[in-house]
Amino acid sequence: MRVALFIPCFIDQLFPNVGIAMVTVLRRLNVEVYYPPEQTCCGQPAFNTGYWDEARVLAQRYCEIFDDADAIICPSGSCTAMVRNFYPELLGNATRTTARTYEFAEFLVKHLGVTDVGAKFPARVTYHDACHALRELRLKDEPRQLLREVQGLELLEMDQAETCCGFGGTFSVKFPMISYAMDEVKVTSIQKTGAQYVVSGDSSCLMQIDGYLRRQNLPIKTISLAEVLAST
Amino acid sequence: MNPSRDNILDRVRAALRTKAHRPQAPTNAPIFPPIANPEARFREEFTALKGEVIENAEKLSEFLRGFAKIATDESELVSKAVGETNASVSECELGVTACDCLVARTGSIIVSTLSAGGRALSVLPPAHLVVARHEQVVPDLVAAMALLRKRYDRHWPSALSVITGPSRTADIEKILVMGAHGPKRLALYFAE
Amino acid sequence: MTTASEQFLRDAATKTADLRHRGVIQKNIASYDAAVTRGKARYADWQNARSQAAAIKWETVNHLDRYLEQFEQNVLENGGHVFWAETAADAREHVLQLARRHGVQKVVKSKSMTTEEIHLNEALEMAGIHAVETDLGEYICQIRGEPPYHIVTPVMHLTKADIAQTFQEKLGTPPTDSAEELAMIARAKLRREFMTADMGITGANFAVADTGMIAITENEGNARLSFSLPRVHIAIVGIEKLVPHFEDLALFWPLLSTSGTGQAITAYSSLISGPRQAREIDGPQEFHVILLDNGRTRLLADAEQRDALHCIRCGACLNVCPIYKNIGGHAYGTTYQGPIGSVITPHLRDEREWSHLPYASSLCGACTDVCPVRIDLHHHLLHNRRNAIQHKFDNPIQRLLFATWLWTMQSSLRYTIVAKLGNLTLRLGFAQSLLKPWIAKRDFPTPPKESFGKWWKKVERASRPFTPSKQTVETPVLHDL
Repeated sequence: MRVALFIPCFIDQLFPNVGIAMVTVLRRLNVEVYYPPEQTCCGQPAFNTGYWDEARVLAQRYCEIFDDADAIICPSGSCTAMVRNFYPELLGNATRTTARTYEFAEFLVKHLGVTDVGAKFPARVTYHDACHALRELRLKDEPRQLLREVQGLELLEMDQAETCCGFGGTFSVKFPMISYAMDEVKVTSIQKTGAQYVVSGDSSCLMQIDGYLRRQNLPIKTISLAEVLAST
Repeated sequence: MNPSRDNILDRVRAALRTKAHRPQAPTNAPIFPPIANPEARFREEFTALKGEVIENAEKLSEFLRGFAKIATDESELVSKAVGETNASVSECELGVTACDCLVARTGSIIVSTLSAGGRALSVLPPAHLVVARHEQVVPDLVAAMALLRKRYDRHWPSALSVITGPSRTADIEKILVMGAHGPKRLALYFAE
Repeated sequence: MTTASEQFLRDAATKTADLRHRGVIQKNIASYDAAVTRGKARYADWQNARSQAAAIKWETVNHLDRYLEQFEQNVLENGGHVFWAETAADAREHVLQLARRHGVQKVVKSKSMTTEEIHLNEALEMAGIHAVETDLGEYICQIRGEPPYHIVTPVMHLTKADIAQTFQEKLGTPPTDSAEELAMIARAKLRREFMTADMGITGANFAVADTGMIAITENEGNARLSFSLPRVHIAIVGIEKLVPHFEDLALFWPLLSTSGTGQAITAYSSLISGPRQAREIDGPQEFHVILLDNGRTRLLADAEQRDALHCIRCGACLNVCPIYKNIGGHAYGTTYQGPIGSVITPHLRDEREWSHLPYASSLCGACTDVCPVRIDLHHHLLHNRRNAIQHKFDNPIQRLLFATWLWTMQSSLRYTIVAKLGNLTLRLGFAQSLLKPWIAKRDFPTPPKESFGKWWKKVERASRPFTPSKQTVETPVLHDL
């Protein structure tokens, strides 16, 4: 089985540890992976802004790069959703490559059938449901199943778990005041749980939430699901 | 007919020459759970909405004593139960009407201009009493619509209303207040 | 940037900073959410109810000419009148004509989005006709001379004391601390208006084709009084409001109220088939339906977004939208607000002028999940964005930016070089002005020295020590591959 890594551009550049953590976990589970170095970006920024012709070029490029993979694993719900749900609209139809692109937690639980990855992370943790993962990929239980098997981890639910954090890509800078208000609502909900960490499968959300936490000097930390699962 | 009619219909027909994607078909699975005991369910829903069920003739007399000016739809059922009308619709304190049917699932009472003495009688007075028969209870809106269709098809009354509880508003600080414009009190008496 | 979008940004900034506004909306929506959860629990299969409703609406909208004609024929046979209004101006003019013909001096109105859409109140006032809003919240706004604060609860921003003071000043009533007493004051005042009005104007939640009826849903009873007491009743109905059969209401009435307020059904769900008949004792002498196009046929022609016309105006998408919850409805600056408003406004009004609304969304998709008729709301926002770019509404700098961006992303070498430059710029602190909208109130991460790609290359070159996991994990089987 050829299992390829799809590392979104912003994770490659800003949060490489998330990708490294994902590789660590996969190796722990004896999954051999490879990383096509020609990959760049899934095209979502262009697509979401309405530049579909531009996004289509990158969609075709993605399919070429990952053509010989049996599975493509991505540590981002939004980029996975872009490929699996929106590439078919751009290209006119789903392809073998688009259909076999999976989000990391999704791959572990639904395809490897694994929920215990041998992780240890003793802390009080709450989970933020990133919108694309939740509503485009329909992932709600899978990340929680994984977190519940992590040694020492106490999983707390916030009342606004499913409410958008306010990132939304360029929305966060085009409508910063609204994005900020949404950020504040999310952080308030996180604080009410008493959690030490907020976890998510999407680092863009974590960046948005972290941006608020750090500016307000709050003690809560953000961490990706991959990094929690890589912890031992 | 104004030319706009043709313009609009032409635009509609032109627009519909392009086909739209069809949504996923529904299944035959029932939308609502079945209702075991319609009348019991009706009473439950009706009283939960602050409707008042008048249990017997004695309680009915007691209820009526609270109103000096009463207007009725002068139907046989109502006249037998409460007597004669003694005030106009606009001056009365209580309007008394019959109804088309009672809907168990929602605790609703369906009235029409023909079953309840016009449009205003069941909405203008500050209190509304409905006199009904047990057989008028139907399980749900589907059954109610079927009953109405059977009764009125091709000679519909000009107005009918599905009444579910007294009039209400929560516009002021989200505080529930009864009797915003329609009746503040809604009562039901099952005639023998 | 257009005037509407500039105003939107200003209003959004004001409202998002208003923590009292945020608190009030959150409280209201929390009780709405609880009510809707209870309402949905009454259903055995809520998802199937949505699918059934979507199917009926698809059938109606995709054969709209047939149902419109059937509806009109039945209304006429029942003794009513039908006027087809292509534009808001046509609809207003027809109402004024009818008002003049009948010597109307006072109109009672029940809450109707179509009457707001066509700006009817202003036209009536200019013609010297007093139009009284009879919905309690709307009435309070009217006597205060303010627009409604929020579509569902028009006086959400007012306390009992505020309202009592308004009544004292404008109506001369004694002070009171009781919501009930305040409501009774309004009731008594409006009762006189109902009794002396010459004309009642309502909207309609549905229009039934096979019986020629309009359906009106409410809790207060003011619509019933508006169509019962005055001698003329006009209903202004969007052409998309049709449903094929009388029986369809058994599905749509509970669907609308469950999504709209969490109620099993509202206090009054009424059907009007025509004017007072000879065998009836009261009711208006004349009944007029104004069928309103006003841009709806434009939306109909867009087959991709045609399902937006399935909307039953329940408000669920507004109540779940995190943007709406933070900026309120007024900031949208147009009649139809929230997600559905952002989808349809570029079609109903000037597309360029309103192209900012579809962008004022994080595309979270909550709206699509709650829509009782399964409109693909958040995907239509994407479609509207694509349309805006195709029509070249974007500014040339942005267009150039994305062209450059694409050129960069088409080569991993170019991407790596540009990324490295960006990395250095950020680490040296030179990108502050570019990042201003972000870093004004949020910290931005310092990018690490080494990208994932760089790390992989490094690790692949070295010999990789293979460390099995601490716990035994069975050899994984790749499912469904």
